[in-house]
Amino acid sequence: MAHRILRDHEADGWERSDFPIICESCLGDNPYVRMTKANYDKECKICTRPFTVFRWRPGRDARYKKTEICQTCCKLKNVCQVCLLDLEYGLPVQVRDTALNISTHDSIPKSDVNREYFAEEHDRKARAGLDYESSFGKMRPNDTILKLQRTTPYYKRNRAHVCSFFIRGECTRGAECPYRHEMPETGELSQQNIKDRYYGVNDPVAMKLLGKAGEMGTLESPDDESIKTLYVGGLNSRILEQDIRDQFYAHGEIESIRILADKACAFVTYTSREGAEKAAQELSNRLVINGQRLKLTWGRPKPDQDGANQQGGVAHSGLLPRAVISQQHNQPPPMQQYYMHPPPANQDKPYYPSMDPQRMGAVISTQEAGGSSTENNGASSSSYMMPPHQSYPPPPYGYMPSPYQQQYPPNHHHQPSPMQHYAPPPAAYPYPQQPGPGSRPAPSPTAVSAISPDSAPAGSGAPSGSSQQAPDVSTATGSSQ
Amino acid sequence: MPKVKTNRVKYPEGWELIEPTLRELDAKMREAETDSHDGKRKCETLWPIFKVSHQRSRYVYDLYYRREEISKELYEFCLDQGYADRSLIAKWKKSGYERLCCLRCIQPRDHNYGTTCVCRVPKHLREEKVVECVHCGCQGCASGD
Repeated sequence: MAHRILRDHEADGWERSDFPIICESCLGDNPYVRMTKANYDKECKICTRPFTVFRWRPGRDARYKKTEICQTCCKLKNVCQVCLLDLEYGLPVQVRDTALNISTHDSIPKSDVNREYFAEEHDRKARAGLDYESSFGKMRPNDTILKLQRTTPYYKRNRAHVCSFFIRGECTRGAECPYRHEMPETGELSQQNIKDRYYGVNDPVAMKLLGKAGEMGTLESPDDESIKTLYVGGLNSRILEQDIRDQFYAHGEIESIRILADKACAFVTYTSREGAEKAAQELSNRLVINGQRLKLTWGRPKPDQDGANQQGGVAHSGLLPRAVISQQHNQPPPMQQYYMHPPPANQDKPYYPSMDPQRMGAVISTQEAGGSSTENNGASSSSYMMPPHQSYPPPPYGYMPSPYQQQYPPNHHHQPSPMQHYAPPPAAYPYPQQPGPGSRPAPSPTAVSAISPDSAPAGSGAPSGSSQQAPDVSTATGSSQ
Repeated sequence: MPKVKTNRVKYPEGWELIEPTLRELDAKMREAETDSHDGKRKCETLWPIFKVSHQRSRYVYDLYYRREEISKELYEFCLDQGYADRSLIAKWKKSGYERLCCLRCIQPRDHNYGTTCVCRVPKHLREEKVVECVHCGCQGCASGD
């Protein structure tokens, strides 16, 4: 072809560079790399022009790698000089082009003198500093490509090649053979061609990846028609319920949103199945809140309805806290329970009042009348099954563990009133109250002090002054008296 | 015709004692030179040459420096006649190079990054334990092991 003899290597047309343009996987895991640089050592596999070849070893168990294509060709497609995969995403050219809907394909000539001319022109412009259309910097990543991209470096491709003598059974080198003694991978993927890979045409790896991407997009609806809950995973502390609501409200009426911060997940329940399906369809691969990409799948129903919520237990409602599940064991559950991924083993952590809807103000009709609320027994509710996850059964009030005892005995006869702070009287159980006074020592003395002057009228007037839960209190105090 | 000076070899005394071994080693070298290259890698074909050369030089070196069974005159005679490699023996006299395999393995110009051959690295410092150096097929010539 029309190659010029190297008379003056400053002259146009022949490429020089100081460092190769390569991806992380090809550079290797070792921070110390020794690289040789050989000017005009080999010709580029694509444009066949001589270029600077860099050769290094990407890690201890790797073979030596060298740059295969010149920097001009590599910049035209924004790929690594060695592996010809995209520099940002680590994907084959065909995959990246299809996913981002860009086509550099036609503008690069592929044959003979045309190709050389194009490459040289491009090179000359680049060296002259003209900012040609480096469109790769302006690409906005879309979801598909973000899902497909490789996030961690892949060092398996740096392994030695397979020993061809070993394949025939003739390797006499034995232990010192530097090549791999494995059978080679066969099949579609093994017939790859560097030019095909570079131009993004007929690349088997790319086809396979695109095939997988096509299937990945769809999120199938579950067969069980009553499931209206979507599981959202990958939350972080910056994502608030309101953010989730904003994303999901457009698709249907939201019945409830439950966030489990310790598991970094949330459950969104719609009032209608259609709403849930619509949300799943719209958001399935596109859910991004506050810059955080979230996983979206359907919630799954609990497999068994008995006390499966044991310690370290498996199934747990995403919607209902454990306390209420136990309640629901007593009645046929009107709706199904949901799995949490993974279930929290919550024995040691205090049971927060905010986890209990009743303490947050929800009213459960069946429990009020049966509310225990005896003087000494107000804390333990006999009609309530103990939330099974707890490691010790709720002792009656008087048997409270000692650290809390000094707070309680003075409150003892003011019992209804301090109880209001820590538990709704009908549904009270002592365990939640234990961390209550432990964690809130400040309120209790004030509560005590507030209550004590009122204790004379037997506390009936006091509750109204100091309690926050008006409706239940009066009944409790009434019954406790 | 004018008198033409010829170099006729005059063997010093003691030569008869070492001659058989040296002839044997010479024959071995001839064999290495004429071996066919089948079944061998390109670099592997040269390995026997280096091996025999090392062996021959080693014999002469041992006789003179270690066992002290030949005279200086005979030793110099062997070196002059090409029965041993003078420069290789010169390296053997240095500490750390007592077992040097060949002169190529310590030549930095012959290697990438200006280093020496891998056979010069002691086995306990290497990662690959079994190695045959590409120049002479040496499996480790560091003085330690």
